[in-house]
Amino acid sequence: MQSARNYTTTAYLFLAPALILMGIFTFWPVGYNTWLAFHDYAIADGSATWNSFAHFKYIYNEALFHHALKNSLLYLLVVPCIQLAALVMAKLVNNRLPGMTFFRATYYIPVITAISVAGVAWAFVYKYDGMLNGFLGWAGHALGLLASPQAHIDWLGDPGIAIYAVMGFTFWKGLGYYMVLYLAGLQAIPAEVEEAAILDGANVWERFWRITVPMVKPTILLCTLLSTIGAMKAFQEVIVLSRGQADTYTALYYVYDQAFRNYNFGRAAAAGLVVTFFCMLLAIVQFRFFGEKR
Amino acid sequence: MKTLFKPLLLASLLASLPLAASAAEKVRLEYWTMNLSPTFADWAKNATAEFNRQNPNLEAVWVDMNWDQIRPKLIASLAAGTPPALVNFNVPWVHEFAAQGNLQPLDPLIGNAKDVYLPAAVKDVSANGKMYAFPFYNSVSVLAYNQELFAKAGIKEAPRNFAEFISTARTVTAKTGVPAFSPKLAPESGGGVIGWFYYAGLPVIDKGRAVFTSPQHVALVQQFADLYKAGVIPRDAYKMEFEQEIAAYSSGRLAMMTTAPQAIKRLETNAKARYDQTGIAPFPTDKGRRAFGAWMMDFVIPKGAKNPADAAKLGLFLTSDAQQLAFSKATETTFPSTKKANLDPYFQAGANSRDPVERARAVAARSMEFAVVVNIPPGTLPDETTMMRKFNDEMQQAIEGRKPVKAALDAAAAAWNARLVK
Repeated sequence: MQSARNYTTTAYLFLAPALILMGIFTFWPVGYNTWLAFHDYAIADGSATWNSFAHFKYIYNEALFHHALKNSLLYLLVVPCIQLAALVMAKLVNNRLPGMTFFRATYYIPVITAISVAGVAWAFVYKYDGMLNGFLGWAGHALGLLASPQAHIDWLGDPGIAIYAVMGFTFWKGLGYYMVLYLAGLQAIPAEVEEAAILDGANVWERFWRITVPMVKPTILLCTLLSTIGAMKAFQEVIVLSRGQADTYTALYYVYDQAFRNYNFGRAAAAGLVVTFFCMLLAIVQFRFFGEKR
Repeated sequence: MKTLFKPLLLASLLASLPLAASAAEKVRLEYWTMNLSPTFADWAKNATAEFNRQNPNLEAVWVDMNWDQIRPKLIASLAAGTPPALVNFNVPWVHEFAAQGNLQPLDPLIGNAKDVYLPAAVKDVSANGKMYAFPFYNSVSVLAYNQELFAKAGIKEAPRNFAEFISTARTVTAKTGVPAFSPKLAPESGGGVIGWFYYAGLPVIDKGRAVFTSPQHVALVQQFADLYKAGVIPRDAYKMEFEQEIAAYSSGRLAMMTTAPQAIKRLETNAKARYDQTGIAPFPTDKGRRAFGAWMMDFVIPKGAKNPADAAKLGLFLTSDAQQLAFSKATETTFPSTKKANLDPYFQAGANSRDPVERARAVAARSMEFAVVVNIPPGTLPDETTMMRKFNDEMQQAIEGRKPVKAALDAAAAAWNARLVK
């Protein structure tokens, strides 16, 4: 019989490899980044000098950062869309019908495709003379809505729509990931519950809202949290598709610019910390909404 | 067998000792280049082997990488205290890194050896009286045009000045419906309106203030806005970088390319039919008296590089007359930045050739005397990334017709001056 102390030690030993890796690759960089945010850092000699919150004062007055932060917050619009679509999609592929595995795999392909490769493909879709305009032009012309068979929408160049076009890419890329998480959540719902509801005369809609949604609430919390953080961190899709042009400049793009183009790592760290603060704020709100009430 | 194993192991270790010792004595000089592999790998391999043969105590090691990896990797290696001996940079990066104190000034290392380079090249890589890079290959834009579309538009000869260039562009688009040219506006690849101001001889900064709001500046940007509206400039001009311009010209979606001769070489490989119907002319100079699209490459020694004197030896070797000439012959479309190599008859041999690459080489070589890369004097802008983004955003709105030109220039100048006077 193992004592409680031995049992705890064994548990920690099992956790140790993951904790060590997290410590090195997550906690230490986060801690160092926080420290850096309060210092002027010189890459050449590695020296850092305390600067009395100078970076935070600077970005507080920096219109470009405010604008970038506003765009990152706007990017959160993709969260409810992707969550709802992923849940509906998971519900659809959760049926035991022939060919379902094929659909599940197909929807997951964008997740495993490298963002740079997918970005190049989507740049062709969104190009001024690209596939999307070609299709819309063809459809519009066939329906008599357009005089010419080519639509003229500058998806990635018009500041009014460019950020939504980039969000469309994020939606496509992330949908399969959240679908799989929801699928796992759905498969944990006992079949008897749904069968009982059917016997009680509940229709499809009622079963979805009154059984499925409440029972996958923990998964909804997890997925919403992950996609919110993902949306606040939108950067790769922007640099690949629009390069921050046409009002698609996001907060993390600002962080990248300050670090790797301005070489101001302290300011980049401060801006990164502000983004983290917003992520945490949103996480608290989400825990309030979707978390277990005790 | 077991008894023999230990003596054999010992013997082999002892035998390898002299080799290990000689390898340990060698000074390792890692140098990074930008996109030379696979096409120009032979040049780099030969140059490395020749340097190592001439310098038995040094070991040059060539590492090639994609252009957009170089800066982040160098920053990481600087932070880690393990920078390479030499890094292939372009001119704007030299000034960015020099301003941050991340490059080794070369004057104490090379002395009078810098006299081998063209004065304009040395000026391009110098700041505050110090030279920060070894000038390497250089390039300027030429005008490549689709002769079939020119004939359809009734244009008999290539434009000889900028006004003629604009009117030719308008005619081509009006008569053929094809956008005429892409004016290098994509900021990520060094394009934008600032370069056009300098090309036209208009000032950008004067006495520490942004001065690009004059009627002449407004007229120049308005001209681009009008050309955009008329479809002379393609709708995706702000996304049209080197590759996209070649693709658009190859597929007949652009009547002219205002690009480096390297693009003509690419055209020959990828779209032979279009290549065969391509005419070549110099891109005319304007009041700024500078060749359009000058773009020089160089090598820098990062601060903290071990053995800077040996790194300088390698830098001088790689950018020597012989190596630069060999590199130009390998690329067929770039030019040396050394005085002697630039005069080699190879560059003018194709002046009367019907082959576009040979013609482009001769045409561009004649423009090299006007090749100036630096626009805004280094160190002028206190937060260059942010200021340039603001300027480029405003210009994009103006040229794409979303904001009046004057208002966009005023907004950009106000944002710049707010930072410049601090």
